[in-house]
Amino acid sequence: MHRAAQRRIIIPFLLPALLLLGVFFLYPLVRTVDISFTEWTRTGSSSYVGIENYTRLFDDPGYLNALKNAFLFTLVGGCMLFPVAIAIAWSLNQRIHGEKFFRFVVFAPVVLSAAVVALMWKFIYHPTLGLINPALEGLGLGALARTWLGDASTALPAVAFVTVWHGIGIWVVLLSAGFERLPADVLEAGRIDGAGEWRLFRSVMLPMLRDLFRILVVLWIVQTMQAFAFVFIMTNGGPYGSTDIVGTLMYRVAFERYEFGYAAAMGVALIVIMLVVTQIVNKVMKRDELQY
Amino acid sequence: MSSSTDVRPAPPAGPPPPSSRRRRGSRRSGSDRAPFRRFHLIIYLLLGAFVFSTAGAFAWVFNVSMKTNSEFIGTRPWTIAEDWRWQNYSDAWSSANVGSFFANSVIVSVSATVLGVVLAAFAAYPLARIPFRGSGAVLSVFLLGLMVPWMVTFIPLYMTMQDLGLLDSRLGLALVYATYNLPFNVFVLVGFMKTLPGELEEAAAVDGAGPVRTFLRVIVPLMGPGLASVSIISFLQNWNEFFYALVLIHSPDRMTLPLGLFQLGQAADYGTNWVTLFAGMMITVVPVLLVFALLQNQVTKGLTAGAIKG
Repeated sequence: MHRAAQRRIIIPFLLPALLLLGVFFLYPLVRTVDISFTEWTRTGSSSYVGIENYTRLFDDPGYLNALKNAFLFTLVGGCMLFPVAIAIAWSLNQRIHGEKFFRFVVFAPVVLSAAVVALMWKFIYHPTLGLINPALEGLGLGALARTWLGDASTALPAVAFVTVWHGIGIWVVLLSAGFERLPADVLEAGRIDGAGEWRLFRSVMLPMLRDLFRILVVLWIVQTMQAFAFVFIMTNGGPYGSTDIVGTLMYRVAFERYEFGYAAAMGVALIVIMLVVTQIVNKVMKRDELQY
Repeated sequence: MSSSTDVRPAPPAGPPPPSSRRRRGSRRSGSDRAPFRRFHLIIYLLLGAFVFSTAGAFAWVFNVSMKTNSEFIGTRPWTIAEDWRWQNYSDAWSSANVGSFFANSVIVSVSATVLGVVLAAFAAYPLARIPFRGSGAVLSVFLLGLMVPWMVTFIPLYMTMQDLGLLDSRLGLALVYATYNLPFNVFVLVGFMKTLPGELEEAAAVDGAGPVRTFLRVIVPLMGPGLASVSIISFLQNWNEFFYALVLIHSPDRMTLPLGLFQLGQAADYGTNWVTLFAGMMITVVPVLLVFALLQNQVTKGLTAGAIKG
């Protein structure tokens, strides 16, 4: 009988949350698709143009460049992130001294605002006032000094590095949980068979963590495709569009050129591309299940 | 699939050998460290390098925040500031408006966090504990919010806010943040409420409590840890959020810290007032690091779970 009484509270309990979700998420989401089929003028009037915004995307060098950079960003950042994160996660599981302290330091940047981290590194990279170039000169490596964010060849890796530095804690925690879940008896068997730590790591741990890696790579792709703050603050897409990604391009198209319809189409296309890419990566990385 | 790769050895008979490592639970105690091995040197070297670069970056920011502008330009980056110039902090706080950004951040993050957590707790209750038709559908609407990249909807959101007269207002920003906290909060709280024993409501009903009273007096008090963890995560996310602040807020007197500092950074590019910007960065960073230092485990777990939602 308390069930009947309970039923009366279902709607009042759900309604406020659903109302917020509807107004500030679901409605804008549906309207994004709607807007992507229209063309907006500066005065705010719109007209239906069908799929023109989408066909325009395919030969817009700006968008293609942004997509290319997004892929490069994912790739370069991934190459920086995963080896280091795996190494740190493995290290933290070796029952070393000061584990808690190391975990604190590795995770600390994660709790900071991306905006502040981006700003901080923008200055660290600064060619004369920063930290890196004077340090290189001080070490007698002055030849390596450059205008990190002002050079089209180094800007993208430099921004990717900061993104990795900021977020690596999360990946270390996830990987570290994976290492911890490895069955102790299998590792023990390996040790008894005389395998060294490196051998165990390479031949037992890595293959067993394959599924986790696949999930993390997909996660990394999803995150970097949406990257915004780091690029926007550190380079705003420059120099010469070498770091421009979909997020920053979309923002400029919307708020500098006021082409709302076109920007919305970019966003919808990004979701579709993200889905396709993650599916492909899932397929490619999914090989025979390893039984153990 | 390939069952021939079954490498699981037979479970060891008898007690595990004394060298058996990494037993869950026991490895937390401090005396249970591994004996030193040579490859540990490499580990300490690697972790040490990471710590050195991270601590170095923060130390540098702190050091610059204590310098004068001419010192900043004129000396090597690792030269220690000549004096403790706390003056920079009061300059940043009042004349560079960091104090006002800070107040806005507190107002927006706290109200959004409270709203997002309270509404999520109410919404999660029927979803977790009252079977009704369509509850699966409602839950998946919330979960959709975990899967779609929020960023993509910024144009219609901007227009909607304009229509509602909420553009460039702290209230509007707080409502948006609360909404963006909802899916994750609902997801976590539903999971949490499902772990509570099923007889609670029956017992309360026998004692004559109505459903609302049961929720407020019986369920909510049991939700402490769950509510604490979603509150911490929501607060950190709201405190740090940049993109929607950039899209929705334009007046300097309503900006939150990340947006305000970004504006200061833009100004510093063309001006010569760097040290107050660095003091502003410290003001933004220190409270968050303190929260993290106090609640390391909860923050780590929560943010990690929160990051997977994307």
